[in-house]
Amino acid sequence: MGDGLGIGALRPWLRLLARRRRRLWVGAGLLGLTLLAAIGLLALSGWFITASALTGMAIRAGLDVHVPGGGIRAFAVTRTVARYLERLYNHDTVLRLLADLRGSLFAVLSRLDGATLAKQRSSDWLTRLTADIDTLDGLYLRLLAPPLVALALIGSLTAFLALWLPTLAGLVGAGLVLAWLWLSFGQAWLGMAASRAQVEHRQRLRSLSVEHLQGLAELEAHDCTARHRHRLLACERRLHAAQRRLARCTALGSALVGLVVGLAMLATLWLAAAAWQHDAVSGAVMVMLPLAVLAIGEALALLPNAFTSLGTTRTAAERLNALEAAERRAPSGRSRPLADGPLELSLEGVGLRYPGAWHMALDAVSLSLKGGSRLVLTGTSGAGKSTIAALLTRQLLPDTGDIRLNDIPLAEIDEGSLRERVALLGQRIDLFEGSLADNLRIADPAATDERLWQALDWATLADWAEALSAGLATPVGEGGHALSGGQARRLALARLWLRDPGLVILDEPFAGLDRATLASLVPRLDGWLRGRTALFLVHQLDDDSVAPPGVTHRAHLVEGELTDFARYCAIGQDDGKATTMPNEVRNG
Amino acid sequence: MAGAPDAQRWLSHHAARQRGWLLLAVAAGLAASAATLVQLALLAWIVSQLLVANAELASLTPAFLALASCLVLRALAQWTQEVAGQEASLRVRARVRAELLAHLAALGPVRGAAYPAGGVASQLVEQVEALDGFIARFLPQCILAVATPLAIVSCVAWLDWLAALFLLLAAPMIPLFMALVGVGAERVNREQFAAVTRLSGHFLDRVRGLTTLQLFDRTTEATREVEAAADHYRRLSLRPLRLAFLSSAVLEFFASVAIAVVAVYVGFGLLGYIGYGPSSELTLFSGLLILLLAPEFFQPLRSLAQHYHDRAAALGAARGMLTLLAERPHPQRHRASLTPGDSALVSLVDVTLAHPRRGRVLGPLDMTVLPGETLAITGPSGGGKSSLLHLLAGFVGPDSGRRCVRPGLRLAWLDQRPWLVQGSLADNLRLTAPHASDGELEAALAKVGLAELLARLPNGLDTPLGERGSGLSGGQAQRVALARLFLSEADLLLLDEPTAHLDEMSEGQVVAALQTLASEGRALVIATHHPALMRLASRCQYIAGGRLRELPGEANDG
Repeated sequence: MGDGLGIGALRPWLRLLARRRRRLWVGAGLLGLTLLAAIGLLALSGWFITASALTGMAIRAGLDVHVPGGGIRAFAVTRTVARYLERLYNHDTVLRLLADLRGSLFAVLSRLDGATLAKQRSSDWLTRLTADIDTLDGLYLRLLAPPLVALALIGSLTAFLALWLPTLAGLVGAGLVLAWLWLSFGQAWLGMAASRAQVEHRQRLRSLSVEHLQGLAELEAHDCTARHRHRLLACERRLHAAQRRLARCTALGSALVGLVVGLAMLATLWLAAAAWQHDAVSGAVMVMLPLAVLAIGEALALLPNAFTSLGTTRTAAERLNALEAAERRAPSGRSRPLADGPLELSLEGVGLRYPGAWHMALDAVSLSLKGGSRLVLTGTSGAGKSTIAALLTRQLLPDTGDIRLNDIPLAEIDEGSLRERVALLGQRIDLFEGSLADNLRIADPAATDERLWQALDWATLADWAEALSAGLATPVGEGGHALSGGQARRLALARLWLRDPGLVILDEPFAGLDRATLASLVPRLDGWLRGRTALFLVHQLDDDSVAPPGVTHRAHLVEGELTDFARYCAIGQDDGKATTMPNEVRNG
Repeated sequence: MAGAPDAQRWLSHHAARQRGWLLLAVAAGLAASAATLVQLALLAWIVSQLLVANAELASLTPAFLALASCLVLRALAQWTQEVAGQEASLRVRARVRAELLAHLAALGPVRGAAYPAGGVASQLVEQVEALDGFIARFLPQCILAVATPLAIVSCVAWLDWLAALFLLLAAPMIPLFMALVGVGAERVNREQFAAVTRLSGHFLDRVRGLTTLQLFDRTTEATREVEAAADHYRRLSLRPLRLAFLSSAVLEFFASVAIAVVAVYVGFGLLGYIGYGPSSELTLFSGLLILLLAPEFFQPLRSLAQHYHDRAAALGAARGMLTLLAERPHPQRHRASLTPGDSALVSLVDVTLAHPRRGRVLGPLDMTVLPGETLAITGPSGGGKSSLLHLLAGFVGPDSGRRCVRPGLRLAWLDQRPWLVQGSLADNLRLTAPHASDGELEAALAKVGLAELLARLPNGLDTPLGERGSGLSGGQAQRVALARLFLSEADLLLLDEPTAHLDEMSEGQVVAALQTLASEGRALVIATHHPALMRLASRCQYIAGGRLRELPGEANDG
């Protein structure tokens, strides 16, 4: 019955759980012990009371009160202690599984390509990812342990009943297994459509809400607010309809637990009474058996809630599985290293279209730079500058055309060597939770404190950092919020300085920096870039902004097409090697 | 952030409006408890009839049938309780969402947009959903957790007052016991929540920076670090939990001990070992029934403890929503009933506008927009261009002075971030022109220079746009938004930097389209730096420091 329910989607995650098989068994064992003690407590108490009453009536001494009395106490203590240990142990397990889950998912994410990662910028994607992970966090404690424990208890109960009345045991056991099947798989089947619809509508409601909020101005001006709100509320109604159906299915499951267990108890009572009247069992056992059956309700009660919304877990798993499928296309099997020194760079007819886009992000872009040249590439946002940066750092692969570094096809370059030799300062600066030193050591884990200070000094951050009481140990905070935009950019520059790249790509390197800072920073940058090839990506070159230093070439991008690739005449830094491309390149 | 008592009050207010459904849930819960009581009594009676009165099994068939019908009744009552609780919750959530949306509309585009869209959207969706458990389960259970144990203990007292005393001793006072449950459950939740939040925070921090980690070839180390951090937080959170879990162990302990004590007491009483109190009156029936009732006495409290985290989640969500709801709309917004003189479309008379943190950002100033004129407003950024447009549009009200609007004036708005939604090209155009025909949509697209693109699209107007208009370039997106202006019958178009961030080509097309709009006889007010747009204007005004002055003659500084 597995794949009608989409259990296949859960398989990779179950495999992940299996790494901690022993812990899972112990946890389930403790849960089972807690429930078993509860069953034992009620059943033994019933036996004891009945035996006492019958003994009392017959005024027949000989009932040893110490054994059942001790048993009752033992069950009571076991139940308490096992519950405490179970909660503690299973909480620990869940947190360990959480670590596994995040670790393995992170490994998958870290192999995603640039286009998929770019989607992260929508906070929606992260929200969804978090929600999906949270859903899967409950896999063991909600969906795996309870049904296994319930089944084991049904088995034990059947064996226990069989000690006295094998026929009864067979009947009740079969009935309870059927009930178990329904309460887990049956409920999952019943709630599947509604729980999947719920996830889908909730997501739709979220994106409609974001759209509504972003469009408040247009909607109010055009007097359409009410109309769009109706669309949103219609989606809410669909969500609520799904939730209502889901709640009814879950309620049905919960009600069934009581009904089924009660009926099993009643059948047991009837058959045990018949056996008692034929002197096959004692009166006390006749009472004990139905009470034991009654007490199993607690184990089954855990099932309907978790299983009716199996669709939610399944959807979460499917979405996370899809990430795995989107992993970066592996570069060709060859891994050639890049030599030291400035890198030579060439793009030949490079084209790229993002999935679902109507236009080419880059269209037949050709350019080449000799080692040590500096190109400034201008264009409005969305013209394709960042796409070129992503292509050169192999975060994206081109649909057409050929990219080479030092005349080696980009796809054949060794991963480690490429990362070592090509550096990118992106528009978005990623700073991580951790200290200043942690953030710098991402570039060079082996760097000494002294070298880190040199890097800060180079990026004109040393004065600022020295004024901090914790110095290099100063926490940078989530996403680097403690730093201003300009400081974050300079910290990222310091990170680049710690490496020795042959090609440096700087996307809007001076954004958010004031003139005084730039006056000391730009000459240092100029010096550091000597002996490296550099690519500056800037919005526009005008009189207001500080020009990138030592530029030898310039080019302009309009909607993914390169125009005006030319030697830059204003600055006469001529190494005599730069090649100039023909000025064609427009072929819309 | 609003305080916890406010949040509690606000939630109670919303719950009170669904009193009917909540009462039904409580009534059904009580009925289920009553059915349980009868069912257990019947069970004890049947046993006693068999063992003590030596009745024939067949003669007890009616009792068996009655017991079976009790089971069915109880199942129905449980189902009703859950469904009624859910219905109350659905209705509360729908109302809260409507309240939030109405409030956002009242706040208007300027104050409403002061909050990040993602955050407000999560309030509208996830936070509202977080009220579910509190309304559907916790509230009814609060009453049931008091009423059911009381009913059971009275029943036990009637059978044997000493046994009832044991139960009461096990739970000295129900309110005290509930407080214990609450504190413990709240603590468990807080700790668990904190651990998971810290973990997610760390994880998301690394995911956000993945590109950088890839570029520095540090993903392997980062993966190990993610695992190590998770393990670190696990160890941190376990220590406080060792204590916090004691609360659930205490509940379990009392439940177990009560059963054990009752069982031993009843057993010894039946054996005649206890020579005092009411134990000599005990029979198999009363003894067995007392034993069966003992776990039921604790069951509602255990359910309440299970639902306790729903309360914390709902209060947290309510506090966030109240912060948004506490923001009052500007009193002057939507109070433009005055008609301007001189056939003007809209006029501002001696208006001022202040920003909560930046102080006065505009005025005092006067301004009049006449039909058909094209007015360019220029000036340094932060000088008040956008605020002036917001005031003209009525998105904010003036702090002093008057805004006069010609009755029945139709407005249209465009700013530098084109508003696009997930859906087809046609859906996007019809957002503000629901009744436009396909032909009209095509004509509007042609006027903004998108006819060629439209012709190339295989599905034409039905081509999907993707989330936030992904698939379009920045210039194309802005022109789609511009096409909406052609579809509207607005007399006055307000445009805030419509050519910002566009390349030269798109820029030219937007300017040409605006010229067409102006030639259709509509009035345009354009905040811009762009020389071409300023040349388009019949009148050009300069705004700096919130003060407006006329630029002399044609504005053609090229």
